[in-house]
Amino acid sequence: MPPSPQAPPLGNRALDPTAVRPAIDDALIERIEPSALRSRLQALRGDGFTVLLDIGGVDYLDRKPRFDVVYHLLKLPATVASVAAIGTPVRMRVLCGIDDGIALPTVSDIWPSANWAEREVYDLFGITFEGHPDLRRIQMPADWEGHPLRKDYPLRGPGLEKTPRPDFALKSNVLAGTPPSGKTAAALARQIAKIRGQSS
Amino acid sequence: MTTTHGPLGVMEGATSGNQMVLSMGPQHPSTHGVLQVLTEIEGEVITKADPEIGYLHTGIEKSAENLFWSQASTVIERMDYLSPLTNAMCYVLGVEKLLGITDRIPERAQQLRVLLCELSRIASHCVWLGTGGIDLGAISPFFYAFDMRENILDLFEASGGARMHPNYLRVGGLRDDIPHGFLDRLDDLIKKFPGRMRELRRLLQNNPIVQDRMIDVAVLEPEEALAWNVSGPVLRGSGIAYDVRKAFPYSGYEKYEFDVPTRTEGDAYARFLVRLDEMDEAMRIVAQVRKQLVQGPVMIDDTKVAPPPKEAIALSMEALIHHFKIVSEGFRVPPGDVYQAVEGPRGELGYYIVSNGENRPWRVRTRPPSMYNLQVLKKLAIGELIADMVVCIGSLDPVFGEVDR
Repeated sequence: MPPSPQAPPLGNRALDPTAVRPAIDDALIERIEPSALRSRLQALRGDGFTVLLDIGGVDYLDRKPRFDVVYHLLKLPATVASVAAIGTPVRMRVLCGIDDGIALPTVSDIWPSANWAEREVYDLFGITFEGHPDLRRIQMPADWEGHPLRKDYPLRGPGLEKTPRPDFALKSNVLAGTPPSGKTAAALARQIAKIRGQSS
Repeated sequence: MTTTHGPLGVMEGATSGNQMVLSMGPQHPSTHGVLQVLTEIEGEVITKADPEIGYLHTGIEKSAENLFWSQASTVIERMDYLSPLTNAMCYVLGVEKLLGITDRIPERAQQLRVLLCELSRIASHCVWLGTGGIDLGAISPFFYAFDMRENILDLFEASGGARMHPNYLRVGGLRDDIPHGFLDRLDDLIKKFPGRMRELRRLLQNNPIVQDRMIDVAVLEPEEALAWNVSGPVLRGSGIAYDVRKAFPYSGYEKYEFDVPTRTEGDAYARFLVRLDEMDEAMRIVAQVRKQLVQGPVMIDDTKVAPPPKEAIALSMEALIHHFKIVSEGFRVPPGDVYQAVEGPRGELGYYIVSNGENRPWRVRTRPPSMYNLQVLKKLAIGELIADMVVCIGSLDPVFGEVDR
């Protein structure tokens, strides 16, 4: 497989931009080990973080651990509330570094909205969530191979860095003994004759 | 019993009896895009619903990682194709935060951004109103709503050169200033708007069929709304007045007076009324921006981010070099990560952007409001009649470019 076009500009540079400059936006930021993740998120839920805004993945490729799963939480009052009562709610970002092949605990029983979000992280990054009720692909077709948002996944898909020629074109050219770059009329005639000869 | 893998797999293990599985979509006229809902029904009552998404997955997040910072907004606009400017707005604000230039964006650019975003909110709600009416069998409101939307798209065309995806917002400001005559056309629209809204409301709001179909259908309690992470009109229809424009003001929203329409009923009709009121509020903001609009530049004066003006290129070697650098290799963004949210027509649209200091984003994660709003369909549809499924979907107003990205 040819290297992804994303690989060269980075080289082997150690990479964790989140560690360089942690607080640009107004969110509280916390980094948690996978083992403590579930209990911590459960505690935050009890602490008034009623909304799990989003779960996203980031692939840092050369870093150890390789992936970050990023949870965004929001502290909203648990019932009917006016603009004044909400004010400026607290936003929180929980980052959890995880290596390839290790499962994270699911939070879809704490926040039902995590169901699709975790499925998407699984689909696009290949990070599994233990205890998820229905962990299958969500964006890609069910029989897809690979996880497209990984950095070592080529932009156009595996083996498809150039626009592929349709299968039949390649085959017919090979059969007719012409280079795959073009198909001559003579080669086509030969091929048709050959196929007719075989079928009769 | 296995319940995973394969589209119909989730239906296995469901309660037995008189249920049957009905597959709606993905090519159903009232799914507002390509959505398949596997529906388990007993008689006419829905007992289980499982939306299948991903039919419109185009890998926009992956594409964005392979484009320059300035180019990425082009594909990002394609996510929510009914309000492309809102997507661009959110992305651009996030990148500006990473660059640390948020405070240096010219006032006029910020005002015009707000103006265009509010106009696109109206345009987007017009589509929802029109197609939502069709879902209920009302064809005429569609033409009224699309006529109004067309007026707004004309303004987009005048400003950015394209009706749908103008790519007008740039990191650092706007591509160009608005052309001559734009404000006159805007004034026309502002003047016409209340009358047009009255027409639309008269067609639908107190219509007994609309009320019969929507009141007490697809009720979402506030606690459920939070747990399912819905936002925008769906959340506000359940009584929680969370609006990013009020909670985390951006681009000068704190300077404008507007209310956050909220209803407590939580049904499809409540969401319908919230959206109608939101259109009025959006126009209120537009009128205020129009009144307060200042003169001045629309692009940041920083040649590291914005290409120098065309006239300067002919005269200054340095300007030519800057222009060449920005066009050929883009600008670099300091390493870091940021979560930026804006209030889109469908709710909290967020971008979690990671930069590693290069000229391309390392990761652009979207928090898609449509996807989370649609997910609650699993909960909303249960106990409703099969004919009300289209009302449920319509009241959530999903856009599949954004759900599937």
